Amino acid sequence: MPTKNVVEERISKFKNKGKDPAKLREKRISVCVELRKAHKDESFLKRRNITLSSLPDEEALDYISNDMVSSETFIRNLFKPSFYIQSVVQTSCQAARKLLSQERNPPMKEIIDAGLLSRFVSFLGMDDEPTLQFEAAWALTNIASGTTWHTQQVVEHGAVPAFIALLASPMLHISEQAVWALGNIAGDGAAYRDILIECNVIPALLARICPDTPVGYLRNLTWTLSNLCRNKNPFPPLSAVMQVLPSLIQLLHLGDKDILSDACWAISYLSDGDNDRIDVVVKTGIVSRLVELMSHEELSVMTPALRSIGNIVSGSDLQTQAAVDAGVLKVLPQLMRHSKASVQKEATWALSNIAAGPCRQIQQLITCGLLPPLVEQLRNGDFKTQREAVWAVTNFTSGGTVEQVVHLVQSGALEAIINLLQVKDTKVILVILDAINNIFMAAEKLGETEKLSLLVEELGGLDRIEMLQNHDNETVYQAARTLIEKYFSDVNGYTEIHFK
Amino acid sequence: LFYMLYLTNVKHVLCFQRVALLVASDIDALCACKILQALFHCDQVQYTLVPVTGWQDLGTAFLEHKEQFRYFVLINCGANVDLLEMLQPDDDSVFFICDTHRPVDVVNVYNETQIKLLIKQDDDLGVPPYDDIFRDEDDEEGGDSGNESDEGSEPSGKRRRFDEGAVERRIERQRAKREWEARRREILFDYEQYEYHGTSASMMFFELAWVLTKDTKDMLWWAVIGLTDQWVHDKITHMKYVTDIATMQRHVSRHNHRNEDEENSLSIDCMRISFEYDLRLTLYQHWSLYESICNSCYTSCNFKLWTLNGQKKLQEFLADMGLPLKQVRQKFNSMDMSIKENLRDVIEESSNKYGLKDIRIQTFGVHFGFKNRFLASDMVHATAALLESTEKDESDSDNFIKALDSLSRSNLERLHSGIELAKRKLMAIQQTVASCICTNLILSQGPFLYCYLMEGTPDVKLFSKPIALTLLCKYLLKAFVHSTRNKRCKLLPLIMAAPKDVEKGTVIVVGIPPESETSDKKNFFGRAFEKAAESTSSRTLHDNFDTSIIELKTDDRSKFLDALITLLS
Repeated sequence: MPTKNVVEERISKFKNKGKDPAKLREKRISVCVELRKAHKDESFLKRRNITLSSLPDEEALDYISNDMVSSETFIRNLFKPSFYIQSVVQTSCQAARKLLSQERNPPMKEIIDAGLLSRFVSFLGMDDEPTLQFEAAWALTNIASGTTWHTQQVVEHGAVPAFIALLASPMLHISEQAVWALGNIAGDGAAYRDILIECNVIPALLARICPDTPVGYLRNLTWTLSNLCRNKNPFPPLSAVMQVLPSLIQLLHLGDKDILSDACWAISYLSDGDNDRIDVVVKTGIVSRLVELMSHEELSVMTPALRSIGNIVSGSDLQTQAAVDAGVLKVLPQLMRHSKASVQKEATWALSNIAAGPCRQIQQLITCGLLPPLVEQLRNGDFKTQREAVWAVTNFTSGGTVEQVVHLVQSGALEAIINLLQVKDTKVILVILDAINNIFMAAEKLGETEKLSLLVEELGGLDRIEMLQNHDNETVYQAARTLIEKYFSDVNGYTEIHFK
Repeated sequence: LFYMLYLTNVKHVLCFQRVALLVASDIDALCACKILQALFHCDQVQYTLVPVTGWQDLGTAFLEHKEQFRYFVLINCGANVDLLEMLQPDDDSVFFICDTHRPVDVVNVYNETQIKLLIKQDDDLGVPPYDDIFRDEDDEEGGDSGNESDEGSEPSGKRRRFDEGAVERRIERQRAKREWEARRREILFDYEQYEYHGTSASMMFFELAWVLTKDTKDMLWWAVIGLTDQWVHDKITHMKYVTDIATMQRHVSRHNHRNEDEENSLSIDCMRISFEYDLRLTLYQHWSLYESICNSCYTSCNFKLWTLNGQKKLQEFLADMGLPLKQVRQKFNSMDMSIKENLRDVIEESSNKYGLKDIRIQTFGVHFGFKNRFLASDMVHATAALLESTEKDESDSDNFIKALDSLSRSNLERLHSGIELAKRKLMAIQQTVASCICTNLILSQGPFLYCYLMEGTPDVKLFSKPIALTLLCKYLLKAFVHSTRNKRCKLLPLIMAAPKDVEKGTVIVVGIPPESETSDKKNFFGRAFEKAAESTSSRTLHDNFDTSIIELKTDDRSKFLDALITLLS
């Protein structure tokens, strides 16, 4: 029977029942990645917008207003032999940097087309001309901040080894500029990230962390490290991860919110993947600190901490238990009631994965008072959060003991998911029907199927399920019919007899 | 401000085009309309006249005519909203606005291409300087950027390093912009806070006609009526009235002088306008002296005619004048000539004894032929009564045309019917005032007085109309100030509500400023009504060109009032 296959297919998606637990997670993760990717593009667009809508700064405007003549002048100056008066070169390099630092329409392409990149890269190596080094590093940083093509131009002119060498500069501001530039290159994608890693960028970066490194420097450095952990297909190599982790852990114990934010994001990238990758993170013992940071007052810290913990509880039961032991269940209720809908959604997603665990974890979930916020979200959350909450109910009912399921129904979850049967999202409807089916199976064990049938009918569930038999989607229709045949034909018989 | 500039311009443009003439429903607008019609007639300009009673009407009228017309003349409507925003006209529609409503919307003031305002040069608009309220697009664009992306979202993969100075400058710019915006809000709040009225529209058009040397005696009379309307309906300060009367007096003597020869040969259809220092007794020449005294606001309030004591005082007053009761109670026309001859002096003398020091006022009268004499205020009352007639179920535009007709001297019958209507209206007002005062219907709500006319009150239908209700409101407040002993209450503004449409379950609400000799006639209820409606999401209709007159669902009355009390406390 096709229905059976569908049900099996669905059952196989549950972490516990599942013959193949990895499959479910993968699915859930891929959805998340998609969402996150969309988010990234969004924030990128936003940034561009800002850049476009901002006024150019007045100084740079002066250069622009001097039109092409002057820019030709400085371009010519930049090609003068190096024994030529250095200050002229310096001024011209600075002019270029300023153009690239204006908020509106920095002339990246024009400067690349003028062939200036090789000059800039050569300036990076002039240890006896620190001003020139600095200006060139800044100019290249800004070009690398552009599109992939812009970054590519910088890399292909040999900037990577030059910048890595520059990390060791005794001048902190120059070294910091190199850190920034490398961050931009790493942030372009997996390919350049791995090229940097192969060039041993990590030890060079980590060498700059010491007790008296200024906070501003550390912020840039943490961000660059987070870019080295970022992106998948492929993930960064394990050896690199192992290199970065101890320093990240160290950074996570600092107090600066920007450092904490970027370090948490780094952890969230590293924990986003299969159980082996999660394991590497969990083994560092950072979980309890992450749970602590979930209560951080800054949204920019709390969000990536929650994301990291969400990733970890999507792992194996053991990994999930590590998060539970660290007290994640005590923090989740307040996050599920957070004023930002996106936080509610992430917290509920984490909860749904804990609910997919063994009944021992489900019991802890009940004890820590997670059911009331869950039911609140089912009733009033925004749709994305409701979707996660529905998953939580289904996972809970498939893995929980009979008593636990009874408790869930008594908390109002059944009524809430029945009300959600009106939504348009087919996937959500199927997940709800699964949950109802699971609840019936629990009732069967108690011999209270009829009582449950009556309850579902009272709550308007029967009408809704009957309506779903007209659903366009074949799977929904089948699932609804199976439920009716299995649990409600009896009720009808019962009432018929009753009326006789 | 723009007046002289546009005079020639207006004429030039209007001469060759068909024009849509959108006229609000008030007496000044009607008079202005008469003057403009006469001017159009001289120049053979084709026009279409559309009466409009409110913003919705104006919107519909514009939609219906925007295809055929490029030029729209708006009389006593359109100045106090952003007209282009409201009507969304094509770029080539041009609006000539002659509107007494103040404050003029700042966008209208500074739009010079599509909005042509006719405003007297010495009318002080108090418009905020352009730079204080408008900024160039570029500036705005620069300000709204904030470098922080949405907090809590994933950091961007790449970051450009800006100039330190640029960042600081941007922050500084943002701060300056925020300050500028706060200041702009303050300036606009101050500017838009009070509603009041500027120079009468009919005077404006008369002066236009005069500059074009096309002015006639009829136009002059209409301008006088328009100005008198502003006085009767309490739209301008006493000072402004006296100043404008002086202006009109110069025009009157110029006309009388110019036509001296003709005037000597009185004919049946001649017209003579004269400056008068006449009695503030409404319609007394068309009524009996007694009834006029009883139904005039000034005498009624000063004697407190709603009390027994007041009635007694009135009898004493009449006795003091030495006028036989029989004479006083019969039609003025039939009174003995000997009494009429120095009546005004007699009345003034006794009035002074009784504390009625301002029984006489500068105004104008007109003679049509030998028989018909009217005071300017007679005309105002008669025309207003026709305009808001509730006699038969005639449409607003029927009433509009009738009221317009009554202003032509060829249609004295209409005018007389208007006078009869006006008498009934004034009696209804006096009775309502008396019953409101005697049954304590005026409640002090803290920041304002409030009076609600219940459904079933006599003549309540009459007071569903804005001009009539406003007049009642003013008379009632004057009477209340004379009757109450509570000093604080004397200084309060008044809100009145009366049933508007029983079927729809709506009331009409009017707010007027406090009553005082030196009142600047500035009304803050317009803004307050808007805010109160907004905060309680009361179902209101702000359709009247006067923002202090609104419609409200009866059910929402109490929450609306509560919000208003909180707002104004």
